[in-house]
Amino acid sequence: MSDMEKKTLVEEGTEFKGSLTSKCPVEVRGRIDGDLNAPSLHVSTSGAVSGKVYVGQLVSQGEIAGEFDADSIQLSGTVKDNTVIRAKTLEVRLTPPSGNKMQVIFGEVALDVGDAPRDAASAGGKKKKTDEKEKDGKSVPPPGE
Amino acid sequence: MAEVSKEEIERKVAAGEKLDRADLRGAQLGGAKLAGASLRRCDFEGANLESANLQKVVLKNASLREAYLAGADLRDANLDGADLEGANLQKANLAGANLGRANLEGADLTGANLRTAKLAHAQLDSANLGGADLTAADLSRCDLVECYLGGVKASKANFSGANLEEANLEEGDFADASFDDAQLPSIGATAASFARANFLKADLSNANLVRANFGGADLRKANLERAKLDQTVLTGARIAGIQTKDAALGAIVMDWADVSPDDDGSKRAQGEAAMAALTGKTADVGARPKNVRYFGAGDVLRFAALEFDAGASVEIESRFEQCSIAIGEGTELIVGSEGVLAGCSIKGGGHITIHGQFFEGDKGPGIVGPRRVVVTTGGVLVGSVAQGDDPTMFGFEPGSRLRMKITRSTNGRRSE
Repeated sequence: MSDMEKKTLVEEGTEFKGSLTSKCPVEVRGRIDGDLNAPSLHVSTSGAVSGKVYVGQLVSQGEIAGEFDADSIQLSGTVKDNTVIRAKTLEVRLTPPSGNKMQVIFGEVALDVGDAPRDAASAGGKKKKTDEKEKDGKSVPPPGE
Repeated sequence: MAEVSKEEIERKVAAGEKLDRADLRGAQLGGAKLAGASLRRCDFEGANLESANLQKVVLKNASLREAYLAGADLRDANLDGADLEGANLQKANLAGANLGRANLEGADLTGANLRTAKLAHAQLDSANLGGADLTAADLSRCDLVECYLGGVKASKANFSGANLEEANLEEGDFADASFDDAQLPSIGATAASFARANFLKADLSNANLVRANFGGADLRKANLERAKLDQTVLTGARIAGIQTKDAALGAIVMDWADVSPDDDGSKRAQGEAAMAALTGKTADVGARPKNVRYFGAGDVLRFAALEFDAGASVEIESRFEQCSIAIGEGTELIVGSEGVLAGCSIKGGGHITIHGQFFEGDKGPGIVGPRRVVVTTGGVLVGSVAQGDDPTMFGFEPGSRLRMKITRSTNGRRSE
């Protein structure tokens, strides 16, 4: 990591309210309430960001709430209620051991990630919903091995 | 010692004169404009070339021992076989340069730009490459013993057959890099990223791999004997034939692993089976555990109600339509890469892994009360997930596609 890289730093103990637009990467160790627009945002474990956020890259280990639009997102920490996350790519890791602890605590959250998925066979699928012949079909036991 | 002035050298270069074999030891050439010059076998030992413009210069077999080249522009320069031992190349721009067989022993390349540079067979032992950009560089068969590679950007770099014994790779980004047949004994690689990197037959014995990420990496036949792994990510790694004798295995993140020996993805292992493959404690790692149900590709189930006991393992490669699935505590439900659950619901406190596709039905939420939901690369989840009384553990790999809502338990638990 280059320590020389310029970045906007909201230090621990600092609370910022309002709109922030930056051409530099932003690191939040304190708290931001408001809109934020930057090439990248790093929310550290002590940091919290609440508001509308538009960034190229978001890495959060802290607490986030609001609307987040980004190309790529790496999440840990906490995602609060009523949060919407839109991204081309999202990474949420399970933490060790063997995933027995949580890396992210999600509240009530909407995730919109990657290209819109489509069930390739769904063209006929919608028709099947009104197909009465199949509607009262019985449970089919799984095939034998 | 060189007695020619910087201006005189610049004038000769501008006039197209060759300076091959010139004695320029200790010359003061800071900021000199020497782009395109022919400087074969020149002697620049101890010279000052700080911030000099040396784009496309030919310095084949030249001596630049202890030269000061900080900030120099050496893009596309030809330094094949040059001697740069102890040179200072901090923040130098060597993008596309040819450093094949060059001697860079003990050189300082901190923050240097070496994107796509050719360093095959170069000597870089004890060199400092901290924070350097080695993206797509060729370091095959390089000598990188005791080299410092902390924080480097080396995605897609080629380290095939290189010797990195006791090198420090901490926090470096080596995603998609090649280390096949490389020697990496006793390296320090704390928190380094080796996502999708190739370590086929590499020697990683005694390595410190704490918090390193090997997600999707090829570790087949790699030697990790006596290595230290803790909080190390191995999800999706190819681990057939891996050797971990006497390795210190702490907490390993490995939701699943590819244990197929031929790299064809035919055998996946999860949980204990994956750990057994890693530790070599179970001979038949591909064997399915007891109480397993498998729904093969090509089958279609419609309007089925399925119930699986606690502890069962269920793998679905089929297409399920309008099915409701009840899973017990700890049940492993895997939607394979060919599997599609369309208009379906899953209820119960099991572990759900989606490599394929899940689309909920008209009556959501599609998934209720799971202990764990993981969507891997290429996986699709469209629908709502209602968490249970205990919050659900979520894992999403890059490349997963999601249109989902996560809701809380309806039993009144609030975290705010």
